[in-house]
Amino acid sequence: MAKKQLYWKGEEELLRTKEFLAAQKNEFNEALPLDEVFSENNMGLTANRRDFLKFFGFSVAAVSLAACNSTPVRNIVPYLVKPEEITPGVANYYNSTCGACSTACGTTIKTREGRPIKIDGNVNSPISKGGLCATGQASILGLYDTERLDGPTKDGDNIDWKDLDSEIQTSLNSIASAGGKIAIVSGTIHSPSTLAVINEFKTKYTTANHISYDAVSYSGILSANKDSFGKQVIPSYHFDKANVVVSFGADFLGTWISPVEFTKAWSAKRKVEGSEKVLKTIVFESNLSLTGSNADYRFPMKTSNEAIYVVALYNELAQLSGGSQISMAKTGDLAGGAIKQTAKALWTEKGNAIVVSGSNNPAIQSVINGINILLGNYGNTIDLDNHSNQYKGVDADFVQFSNDLKAGAYQAVIFYNTNPVYNSPLSNVIVEGLKKTKLSVSFSGTKDETATLCQYIAPDHHFLESWNDAEPKAGIYQLSQPTISPVFKTRQAQESLMNWAGVAASLENDPFAKKGIYNQKNEASPYYLYIRKVWATNGVSADDAFNKALHDGGIFTNAPIASTIPSFAISLNNLVSELEKSVGRNNEIDLILYQNIAVKDGAISNNPLVQETPDPISKVTWDNYVSLPKALAENKGIQNGDLVNLTLGSVSLKAMPVFIQPGQSNQTVGLALGYGRKGKIGEKGAFDSIGKNAFPFVSYTNNAFNYVLNGVKIEKISGSYELAQTQTHHSIEGRAIVKETTFNEYKKDPKAGNNQVVPHLYTLWETKDYKKEGAPNHHWAMAIDLNACTGCSACVVSCSVENNVPVVGRAEVRRRREMHWIRIDRYFAFEDKKGLVDKTDSQFEGAFITKEKGLEIADKKAEGSQYEHWENVKVVHQPMMCQHCGQAPCETVCPVLATTHSTEGLNQMTYNRCIGTKYCANNCPYKVRRFNWFRYNDNDKFDFHFNNDLGKMVINPDVTVRTRGVMEKCSMCVQSIQAGKVKAKREKRTLNDGEVKTACQRACPANAIVFGDVNDVNSEVRKLFLNERSYRVLEELNTQTAVKYLTKVRDTENSNA
Amino acid sequence: MIHDSVIRPKLVTGEKTLHDVTTEICRPIENKPSTSWKVGFTLAVIFFGLLALTLTITMLYGIGTWGLNKTVQWGWDITNFVFWVGIGHAGTLISAILLLFRQKWRMSINRSAEAMTIFAVLCAAIFPLFHMGRLWVGMYWVLPLPNAFGSLWGNFHSPLLWDVFAITTYFSVSLVFWYLGMIPDIATVRDRATTAGRKFWYNFFSMGWTGSVRTWNRYEVVSLILAGISTPLVLSVHTIVSMDFATSVVPGWHTTIFPPYFVAGAIFSGFGMVLTLLIIARKVMNYQDYITIGHLEAMCKVVMLTGTMVGLAYITEFFVAAYSGVVYEQYAFINRATGPYWWAYWSMMTCNLVAPQVFWFKWARTTPWFIFMLSIVVNVGMWFERFVIIVTSLHREYLPSGWVMYSPTWVEIGIFLGTFGLFFTCFFLFAKFLPVINMSEVKSILKNRE
Repeated sequence: MAKKQLYWKGEEELLRTKEFLAAQKNEFNEALPLDEVFSENNMGLTANRRDFLKFFGFSVAAVSLAACNSTPVRNIVPYLVKPEEITPGVANYYNSTCGACSTACGTTIKTREGRPIKIDGNVNSPISKGGLCATGQASILGLYDTERLDGPTKDGDNIDWKDLDSEIQTSLNSIASAGGKIAIVSGTIHSPSTLAVINEFKTKYTTANHISYDAVSYSGILSANKDSFGKQVIPSYHFDKANVVVSFGADFLGTWISPVEFTKAWSAKRKVEGSEKVLKTIVFESNLSLTGSNADYRFPMKTSNEAIYVVALYNELAQLSGGSQISMAKTGDLAGGAIKQTAKALWTEKGNAIVVSGSNNPAIQSVINGINILLGNYGNTIDLDNHSNQYKGVDADFVQFSNDLKAGAYQAVIFYNTNPVYNSPLSNVIVEGLKKTKLSVSFSGTKDETATLCQYIAPDHHFLESWNDAEPKAGIYQLSQPTISPVFKTRQAQESLMNWAGVAASLENDPFAKKGIYNQKNEASPYYLYIRKVWATNGVSADDAFNKALHDGGIFTNAPIASTIPSFAISLNNLVSELEKSVGRNNEIDLILYQNIAVKDGAISNNPLVQETPDPISKVTWDNYVSLPKALAENKGIQNGDLVNLTLGSVSLKAMPVFIQPGQSNQTVGLALGYGRKGKIGEKGAFDSIGKNAFPFVSYTNNAFNYVLNGVKIEKISGSYELAQTQTHHSIEGRAIVKETTFNEYKKDPKAGNNQVVPHLYTLWETKDYKKEGAPNHHWAMAIDLNACTGCSACVVSCSVENNVPVVGRAEVRRRREMHWIRIDRYFAFEDKKGLVDKTDSQFEGAFITKEKGLEIADKKAEGSQYEHWENVKVVHQPMMCQHCGQAPCETVCPVLATTHSTEGLNQMTYNRCIGTKYCANNCPYKVRRFNWFRYNDNDKFDFHFNNDLGKMVINPDVTVRTRGVMEKCSMCVQSIQAGKVKAKREKRTLNDGEVKTACQRACPANAIVFGDVNDVNSEVRKLFLNERSYRVLEELNTQTAVKYLTKVRDTENSNA
Repeated sequence: MIHDSVIRPKLVTGEKTLHDVTTEICRPIENKPSTSWKVGFTLAVIFFGLLALTLTITMLYGIGTWGLNKTVQWGWDITNFVFWVGIGHAGTLISAILLLFRQKWRMSINRSAEAMTIFAVLCAAIFPLFHMGRLWVGMYWVLPLPNAFGSLWGNFHSPLLWDVFAITTYFSVSLVFWYLGMIPDIATVRDRATTAGRKFWYNFFSMGWTGSVRTWNRYEVVSLILAGISTPLVLSVHTIVSMDFATSVVPGWHTTIFPPYFVAGAIFSGFGMVLTLLIIARKVMNYQDYITIGHLEAMCKVVMLTGTMVGLAYITEFFVAAYSGVVYEQYAFINRATGPYWWAYWSMMTCNLVAPQVFWFKWARTTPWFIFMLSIVVNVGMWFERFVIIVTSLHREYLPSGWVMYSPTWVEIGIFLGTFGLFFTCFFLFAKFLPVINMSEVKSILKNRE
């Protein structure tokens, strides 16, 4: 019974046509648009309304479900008032001065959103010339150190600055009015304004005096120059002007006076291209130093015999010049003719030579002065007029002070930038003396060994928060500027002194006040105003002039070397008794105290980056150790990993680990200063466990601290200790990884040492073309000059800071898991003078033993002898990082394409895709890939700077912090490349050569690393790629690396390869 | 169908009747477990627990809990992986290749050999999975699923991706082959079942097997097809595993000899493990009549042959290295024999090349306790082979600056021991709940089946 249909939808329904009836039977009378929906045409966008609603409904449901996952809320606080100069995401750079040591290299500080994240050398500064050492690079972490004090303390309890000021002022006033003596003890200060502030203080408190004290003293040079020339200064050494340098234990490329400046000059003069002469480097030393490892000739010396060596050299030269000799009973050429040869080499380069000594004995330094006078070096390569101010501490003054302090002569002591309780052999004297003072104040930013014994700590700003100036050399005025508002409630030491001296108030009406930079409390920093005043009195008063100086980092006059030849005022024969006294007993062992390349005097040794930087010679991290010569070790039955007790008179160090060091002179042992600090940072909060303090061994002889100590006793004890080394195999196994030649051969044929024929190489893969049609692409590449590289490791730290490379700690380094993206490979070759190894055996050709098996044979044959092949070693340093292979072995084996090749020749990591099979690292012939074995951030097991919010402020926001389980490696600072490209694009130009610099390149004090675009025909890197010396490491594997090395050229007589 | 010569030695001894076969092989399934089973199973489960513990530690803290370092980034993990995969070779070889070659002696051992294969591959799979730094991400990226990002696939150049395919294919085919072969026997157990649970489960897993001529016919055909598929897999799996090494640039890995050398080694180790297991099983379960001295002797011959083959490969590697004139290659091999891991190399040589030569003597091939000892030696030797290839090649390769030593931590050792726990747990369960000998096939080779 069909109902009567009243309404119909269309005519066909009314008429009930055949088609309509047929269609009505079919429930879906239109075909479902499945084909359309699933087709790729029109991107499947032909969905009808119903489908749209279905998709929409599904999407809403799916999104709602996905949103149920609770993502942690993280707030970004925007600037309420945006500072004019800060654009989020854009870095600002400020020129300043490094405060890690008193060398005061000029720096350029990179800040992001108001936090400094990287320190580099300032290219304008004549001290650093753009380079910066490992210590300086690492010192940025000191700013973000959880150990820093948050405000002043009194007897360990917090106190207000105001109360502190009034209490100290009252105390100082009462002491001064009663005639009590006040001492300001500081490290070397060459800041004109700081010195002026101290003078103001001394004017106010007339009983005050200022004592300079350097942890590692150059007092010997100062005294010698005072005696010889009447000038108590360290001269300027111009290594770039010399043709020969002879060093007696002065590690001028590593730690001596101003290593960055010296490395810049040294490497410039070592350039072989188009040179007639290079700086021939001759070193006599006990410990194998960085300088020794780079010397052309290195002679092992027992340093307590140094007086005999220098007198012998003096006498040889005197003979050549026809002058009078020094008549000393103990004399002779202990180096087996080397002194005569050296004298000859020096004499032929009269006036173009430099002779230096690392000794702190004024008598020896006077003989060195005599030698330089004989050679006429003053006025040519050594400049006494434009002298260095970097070290001014006179040990006699400090010793006098310490004894007076102990005697109760001082009522008040103020310590600024010094820590004598830790780093002075008179530590006990000072501790005693401090108890007798009425007032003791330390400006230390942390509770260091001295500060904890002081009544008040008035913590100073970190140098990155400070205003300051510096005059590291006569005529070079540098400025420091704050690059962040103070992180803690600290106050600049100078400001404290000004407050106490009542100087601050008188500045309020100063004409500069209104123009001042404002501090945290929105007040002009008084010390800034004071600097302006000091600079104004020296002719820089206009804002423009001062701001220009601030912008450039200082005022640098390029004074020529003063040609005045100083008159040599002493008779060396009067020094003979002192010289003879310095000579050690023959059968006794010398202890040579030295500074580790990154830790230096230990001032910033609680810095994890410094500790994890391997010693460039031994590759040991996180410890100091007794560096033993092989002969002594064999004699005493000591092996690597053993423990010894070191005893010298009443001082002893128990259970020291040993390292048998190739190149260590027989009858000497080395020990690094700067370890054994008390503190809490580090592995599981025990920084005291990092090495042992060697400062108590320092003796005081001939009015200077002496770091060479004859008569040390070594006693093997039971137990063992594993040093954390980043490299444990030391011979190159005869492989052509490092290529070298001599300068003579180079002059004959620039391809010398680099003329192996590489066979025709085949590849499975298509060769990459970095020049796509149209616009030419970049092809990033790097050239590393092995002849310039000294191995100083500044690049290692610089890279770590730039690329957020985690510190992993001693235990992990022991497991060989350090994360450094760049490392310096160091190989020893043992000189086989005695023919211990059969040269006819094709395995061991040449005068040097480079193979493990050869060394074993030689050691066996040398049993019972002096192991001379261990004393005479040749060293090469080779920086090694990802080679960015054109045909990369890592890329083909990654199952997930996490490491791929960019169109610009970079081998790039995609961390997000990495699943951590580690196959790439196994297949990397250069072993430069680093795996995140653990999570290194926010992990209490790795309690370094990545484990606290403060430390994490140093993280470079442009570089991902890697998570556990992914592989990482050198990216050639792709973030800098990107930034450079963006900048060039915005300015509508092509990228200029040298505009983008990698972190390692920026840090390098030797200019050994050049980065650039080899597709750019004018680029420096392209020129180096075409240089005859250039080669690829493991070229025979056809990896087509984007990194090329340049042969090392030694200025030796004959090829020792 | 059966065309055996009457003068051939019997493959099953003890004058078994068809009924004897059924009752004897179903005995462990139908009775309460023996004390020795209980003790063995408990031990296995304890070690399995160790596996769970050590893997949990690895996942919680990271691969850093292992002894690997910046140079040796594969150590015990991949050594054990290759070791277990190698062991997993004998099963398929016995059931597939010997089936195609009509080697009837395989019939009483193929079931347990196949079970061993599957359990060994399970154990092997743990290592490549857990050696990944980020397993959770790895599961996602390795499988090349087309996705919304466009053409984001795995890297088909990478041998590791080939590995994923090779091993999953091998595992699934072996599993199907094993299960298929068991259906008639499960049906037998079902038919004999007295308890409700047993009836239900064996009924379920017998998939309605009726024993009709048609089902038997299909069964035979599918077996043959699967055997055909499995045969190339026997060769392909270890070939591809060997390519993990052979396609790299590491001196000591980069060798064209690897595929045949690895396959021979795998068969060698697989038979070694089969011998170890069966000598215990035939004793404990009293199956000497089914797994006869003849079986053991045949397997010993295979062991001797393949052992000599790998030995030849070891010597060939040395020759090629010397002949190549490549210093890195030469050093890699000299270092194997005389370097700090010399003991591993000489253990390998002794166990794999020298020891199996005793099987030239009939006594050695026919004395079960002696074969058992030798089978252990073979297993140890093959483990050392993988250790030598992986660790001693990696620890000293191109740049001497990166040369290191490697030793495992307790976590790695725990994982390795734990996989034995997993393996034996599986094997004990198999021996308890499934017929360890293929009854239906064995019945076809009984001489007195009339």
